Amino acid sequence: MHIKKILQNFLYDQEYFISLFQNSLHIYNYEELLILSETYIEIKLDKFIICIDGLNLTIVSMDKRELLIKGTINNLRLKR
Amino acid sequence: MKHYILIRIKTTSKTSLLLKLNKLNVEINNIIYEKNYLKCQILAKDLKRLKKYLISYEVEIIDETGFYKIKKELKRNSLIITSIIFATIIFLILSNIIVKINIIHENSYLRDLIKNALEEKGVTRLGFKKSYDEYEKIITSIKEEYKDLIEWLEIDVEGMIINVRVEERIINDYTKDYNTCHIIANKSGIIKSITTKIGVTEVSVNDYVNKGDILINGSIKLNDEVKANVCASGSVYAEVWYNIKASIPLLEEKSYDTGKMRFNIMVKKGANETIILKSRINTTKRVENIYLFKIFGYEFYLQKEYEIKSKTYTYTESEGTSKAIKLIREKLALKLDNFESVLEEKVLQKEVKNNNIYIDMFVAVKEQIGVKEYFKESRSDTNDESNNEYIN
Repeated sequence: MHIKKILQNFLYDQEYFISLFQNSLHIYNYEELLILSETYIEIKLDKFIICIDGLNLTIVSMDKRELLIKGTINNLRLKR
Repeated sequence: MKHYILIRIKTTSKTSLLLKLNKLNVEINNIIYEKNYLKCQILAKDLKRLKKYLISYEVEIIDETGFYKIKKELKRNSLIITSIIFATIIFLILSNIIVKINIIHENSYLRDLIKNALEEKGVTRLGFKKSYDEYEKIITSIKEEYKDLIEWLEIDVEGMIINVRVEERIINDYTKDYNTCHIIANKSGIIKSITTKIGVTEVSVNDYVNKGDILINGSIKLNDEVKANVCASGSVYAEVWYNIKASIPLLEEKSYDTGKMRFNIMVKKGANETIILKSRINTTKRVENIYLFKIFGYEFYLQKEYEIKSKTYTYTESEGTSKAIKLIREKLALKLDNFESVLEEKVLQKEVKNNNIYIDMFVAVKEQIGVKEYFKESRSDTNDESNNEYIN
């Protein structure tokens, strides 16, 4: 449990982080959800906007800082 | 602990709803997209806010989650659960209550005694049952308390009924008084001699006595009144008669040495005997072992083998008769412990049949017939053979 806490402290100490998994995307410390559709999602972070292209994109969980997207992700772009 | 609730929001545009929810900064988990509905888990505290800002949406609470779901279910089924708990308590109470105590014994006094003893120990009707160990302790203490009355006690629990099985201790009030005894006849016969040390002689020489008759009385009487009770002592010899039958064969096979002898070697280990050389006496033989030495646990013997032959000997009738009479005397000596001497003997019947001689003989012997019979002063008529004891 001690190691887990160290890792958590290390990760959550970051300004933001984006984790890409097989069929999901986890974004930590986002600012706003700008566009949401089944094929395209735009999310605003502090210094850039992240654009996700894909199929059957759905939000599984969200709160004011974290977001978990599921679906087939085809393209991931950053707009500065 | 966070209180999550499962809600269902009616919508045709799920994306715009999610964007709105996102704007509200509401924590949403496990979002499930259904036709016209969006199912998700939210914090219970956010519901109010949700309803406030999503006025045009139909928000419906479906279920609670985690501990609150259990709590809700318990609350919903509280009547059933309370009933079950209550019924269980009632069942446990009833199954541990004694409805009836059966004390199984014909003696009402003993039944009441046991009942009172059990009540004292807390085993009462409509009282609670006790454990096996407690019953064992109760049994032990009751048995200890009434050791003169109770031989055996058992408590058997059959549901709500307790069966108490009891065995009464029967103490024979007859106690041997080894200070008072008679000398009685243990056999019928004619008195030949009496030597009285203590007691009153009841018979004379040449009197015929039956089995059980008092020969020397332990009660000393004067004018039919018992003055003293003593343990009679003395010896009484009587002529006792026996009819004895015996039979012996007239043909007897006798073995004799032919004089032929051969040597052999025998090795013995434990119980195993091994003959080293082949025996040179092929007929019936008699062997004699002479110990030689022992080595490594093996004992070596010189064996002498004697050739023997057998011959059938036929007794004459007079020889057979004397042999049978000898056998009868031996049998008589073995049978009679207090036999002194043979007074008379007579062959009553003699028959030779199938090379056997059958003899029926009458024997009159002088024998000690007096035995002690202990009695209690108040029960001088007691005739208990088990208490008899031979005088030696």
